[in-house]
Amino acid sequence: MRTELKIALVLAIVGGVLTTAAFVMAFTTAAMQHHNTVVNAPGFIDTVYEIAPPQLQPNPPDGTVNYHNPWFSQKIFYFHVPIAQLSLLVFALAALFAGMFLKTRDPKYDIRSRIGMETTLIFTIGTMISGSMWTRASWISSWGEMGRVLLSEPRLVTYTVMLMFVVAYFVLRKSVEDEEKRASYSAVFTILAFLIVPFSFAYTRLTQQIQAHPTDVLQQGMDTSNLIPFIVAIIGMMALGYAIYILRVAEEKKRAQLEHIKEDIEDKLATLAH
Amino acid sequence: MDRLPQTSVQETPTPDTGSTLPKLSGWRQYKALLRKDIAQEFRTKEMVTSMGLYGMLVLVIYYIALSQTGLGFDITRIAAGLLLLMIVFTSMLGLNRSLIHEHDQGQLEALLLAPIDRPIIFLAKATTNLLFLVVVQLVVVPFFYVMFVAGSLTIHLGEVTPGPWWMLAIALLLGSIGIAGVGTLLATISVNTKGRDFILAVLFIPVMFPLLLVLVSAVNAVILGGSGYEATFWTMCAAAMAFNAVMIAAAYALYEFILGV
Amino acid sequence: MQPAIVAEGVSRSFGARKALDKVSFELPDKAFLSIFGPNGAGKTTLLKILATLLPITGKGTAQVCGFDVKHDAEELRRRIGLISHNPLLYRDLSAEENLQFFAELYCISNPEQRISELLEAVELKHRRYDVVRGFSRGMIQRLSIARALLPKPQVLFLDEPYSGLDPHAFDILDSLIENIRSEHTFVMVSHDLDKGLDLASHALILSRGEIVLYDRCDQLDTTAFRQTYRDVVGLGVS
Repeated sequence: MRTELKIALVLAIVGGVLTTAAFVMAFTTAAMQHHNTVVNAPGFIDTVYEIAPPQLQPNPPDGTVNYHNPWFSQKIFYFHVPIAQLSLLVFALAALFAGMFLKTRDPKYDIRSRIGMETTLIFTIGTMISGSMWTRASWISSWGEMGRVLLSEPRLVTYTVMLMFVVAYFVLRKSVEDEEKRASYSAVFTILAFLIVPFSFAYTRLTQQIQAHPTDVLQQGMDTSNLIPFIVAIIGMMALGYAIYILRVAEEKKRAQLEHIKEDIEDKLATLAH
Repeated sequence: MDRLPQTSVQETPTPDTGSTLPKLSGWRQYKALLRKDIAQEFRTKEMVTSMGLYGMLVLVIYYIALSQTGLGFDITRIAAGLLLLMIVFTSMLGLNRSLIHEHDQGQLEALLLAPIDRPIIFLAKATTNLLFLVVVQLVVVPFFYVMFVAGSLTIHLGEVTPGPWWMLAIALLLGSIGIAGVGTLLATISVNTKGRDFILAVLFIPVMFPLLLVLVSAVNAVILGGSGYEATFWTMCAAAMAFNAVMIAAAYALYEFILGV
Repeated sequence: MQPAIVAEGVSRSFGARKALDKVSFELPDKAFLSIFGPNGAGKTTLLKILATLLPITGKGTAQVCGFDVKHDAEELRRRIGLISHNPLLYRDLSAEENLQFFAELYCISNPEQRISELLEAVELKHRRYDVVRGFSRGMIQRLSIARALLPKPQVLFLDEPYSGLDPHAFDILDSLIENIRSEHTFVMVSHDLDKGLDLASHALILSRGEIVLYDRCDQLDTTAFRQTYRDVVGLGVS
C-alpha cells in the first residue's frame, strides 16, 4: 500500500510536469505547419489541418478559406487528441476488468471496472469540450453549424454515444441494490457497450456522406517541433491518469475496510448490550 | 384428504440409476417455453394490444407534429426516421412487459430450478419477443404507410420511386431481430432494477444506436428509391446483419451472468 | 443408505461480506431439516446454494442426492423441488396449463396422468381449467406444491412456505406436508420456531453465516434449544 501511494505520487508529479511542459511547448516551440492544400492567404488561414468540407465552409468572395482562429486551433490539438485516445484506452480497460469480474466474481475487479468508467466519463467529457473548441476554431463560422458537424462526424458521434453509455452505466449502478447483482449487471453492460463502439464509428461513417474530421494531420506526419509536445502530452496525461487510478483504487479499498470495521464495531456493541 | 401419489416408490432411489429418468430434450423445453408465452398472450392479449395501441398513439403524435407542414412538404424524406422511431418506442414497451411476466411471482426462479440450459431460456424469450414485435408491426406499419407515405407519394410522384414492399419487410425484420435479441438481455437486467422502464430506455437506446442508424438508411433507400438505391439497401442490410450476429452472440453468452446471481 | 445432503465448508461471500462461512453438515435420507436464524443469517442463501440457484464461492462443496451442486447441477435439478412463499406460477395460465408447462420443462413422460394425480391430491381437480389469477392464496399455495412435486423430487426445499397464509390455508398446507412427510427429504427455512420444530427431525441454527447449533430433534433439549435461538435472534435483531 505504501509503495503504491509513493508510485502514485511520483506519477502525479511527473504527469503534471509533462503536461505543463507540453502546454508551454505548444505555445512556444511548436511551429505553425503548412498544409500543402491551402496556399495564398495571409494571417487567418489554418493551414495545419485538413480543410473543412465545402458544405461547412464560410465562403469569402476571393475563394480562399477563412478560419476563425487558426492559432488556437493548432494549440488545442495537443490536448484533444491525447485525451480522446486515452478515453478509448480507459474504456477498453474497464471492459477488460468487467470480463475479469465475470470470470472470477472478485469484487476488486468490479471496483476497477467502475473506476475505469469514471475515468472514461471524465476523459470523454474532456474530449467533447476540447473537440468542440477545436471545431469552433477551425471548421465552422458559428455555433449554429456545430449541430450539423455533430450529426455528420463519425468520431464525434461515437464519443457522444460513448458518453451516453457511461451515463447509462452509472444510472444502472444507482438503481440496483444488491451488490453482487449490481456488479454483474454493470459488467455485462460494460462489455456490451464496448462492443458497440466500433459499430457506432463504422456505421456513422457508412451512413454519412460528409467527411469532416481533420484526419490528414496524422497521416501526413507532423513537424518535429509539433510532434514533441504531442508525445510529451500523451505521456504526461497517461501518467496522470494512472496516478489517479491508483489513488482511486486505494481509496475504495480503504472505504471497504472502513465499512467492515464499522460493522464489526456495531456487532461487538450489540453483543455487549446483550 | 386423499393420500398423495406414492412418490416414495421412486424409480430412482440412488443417483446411479438416474438413467431411468426420461431423457431431457432442449427442443422440447424450448417449445414448452414458446407455447407458454403464446398461451399467456392469447389469454391476456396484453403485449400485442398495449404495443399496438402505443404505436397508434405515436402515429397520432406524428400527425400533430406534421400538421402545419402543408402539402408541399415531402414527408417521404423523413418517413424512414419516423417509422423506426415508432418501432423503437413500441418495442421498449413490449420488452419490459414480457420480462415482468417472468418476474412478478418469482417464475424465473422456477425456470432456473428446472433442468434447463440457461441459453434455452434466452433463446425462447427472444423468439417470443420477436414474434410479438412482428405481429404488432404487421398491424401498425400499414397504418403508418397509409397516413404518411402514400399521400405524399401521390403528390411527389416522379421525384420519388419507392422500391418493392418486401425490401421494407426485410429491413424491419432485421431490426426486430436485433431489438428482440439484445433487448431481451437488457430487459432482463432492467426488470431487476428500480425504475424498470426508465432503465430499459437508458440502456436500450445507446446499444441500439448503430443498428437504428443503418436501418433508417436502408428504409430510406427503399422509400425514396432513385438510382442505385438497391446497392445502398443491401449494404445497410449487410451492416445490420453483422451487428445482429455480433450483438446477439454476445447477449447469448452474457445472459448466464445475469441469471446466475 | 447414502445421506441426502452433504455440505462441506460451504461458503458464500462477496468481497469482505460473508453470507455463509464454512458451513458443514450431513443430513440423512428422508430427514426433515429446519433451518432457523435471524434475518440475514444466511438461511435463504444456504437453501439456494443447495437448490443450485446460487454458486458456492471458494473451496467448499455440497452434494444433494449424491450430486454435486456445481458439476452435476442439471441432473440434480431433476431431483429437487422448491415450495416458496412466492408461488412461482403463471397467473394468466390455468392450473392445468401451469403444470403442463413445468411437466414439459422436466420432460416428464406421461404428463397427463401425473397432473391428474397431483391435482386430485391437492384438491384442485374441480378448478383445473380455471386461471390462477382468480385463485385464493391457499389454492395458489396448494398448486405450487403440486408444481414442486411434479418431477417426483427426492429433496423438497421449503422457503418460508407459511408466510402470508391465512389460518385455513395454513392448516391445509400443514396436512399436505404431513401427508408427504415420509416420502421426501425436506429442508425448510422458517421464522416460526414452533412450526419448524414440530415437523423437523433435525434442527440447524445459523447466525452470521455460521452454524451455531446442529442436532437431531429427538436428542434435543428443547428448552436449551429455545434459549440458544433467542440468544442468536436477539443478537441479529440489535
